[in-house]
Amino acid sequence: MKRKGKKFKKKGTSSLNKLSLFQKSEGRFNKTCPFSVKNAPIIDYKNIALLKKYITENNKVLSSKITAVSSGKQKKLTREIKKAKILGLI
Amino acid sequence: MSFYENTLVTKQDLPESELEKIKEKYTDIINNNSGKVIKIEKWGLLNLAKKIKRYKKGFYIHYKFEGNKETLDEMTKKIKIDSSIIRHLIVKYKKLDVKNEYFKKE
Repeated sequence: MKRKGKKFKKKGTSSLNKLSLFQKSEGRFNKTCPFSVKNAPIIDYKNIALLKKYITENNKVLSSKITAVSSGKQKKLTREIKKAKILGLI
Repeated sequence: MSFYENTLVTKQDLPESELEKIKEKYTDIINNNSGKVIKIEKWGLLNLAKKIKRYKKGFYIHYKFEGNKETLDEMTKKIKIDSSIIRHLIVKYKKLDVKNEYFKKE
């Protein structure tokens, strides 16, 4: 019986277990998307105060790995940021 | 008849009367070509993130209107001719939220 797959799977989980045993689970893993909560702020190209939080200082869009934004909202966010850039707001 | 939002960025060195004339001109265009202006916002003089045609500041006029293809064609034709407008953006919306004011002068 080939057990190659099983061995491969075990290695992945054990490292996480070790991590969670000794310290509180690191905040970045269970961060929720700020836009899928109940009354989330509206993503709009006019709302530059909100858009500024999601770009770096040289006006690059932050990746959703860092800001933990869900993929649908991230697409919307990048479109609105690009519209604001066209108008010279950002 | 769908909802549109149009933002115009005009040159910074225009006198107040000129800006008023531009505002009136485009409201007339919308109203004449089977459109209806819902709201006009003046965002005032904002400095631009990047230099657009050697200008660092731009006066923003924001229209929320309802119209069809004909108003849009007329609008874009006039904007392209108008030399005092350096940038414009027309966005189509299913429904407009009129109450949010992001650039209100407190």
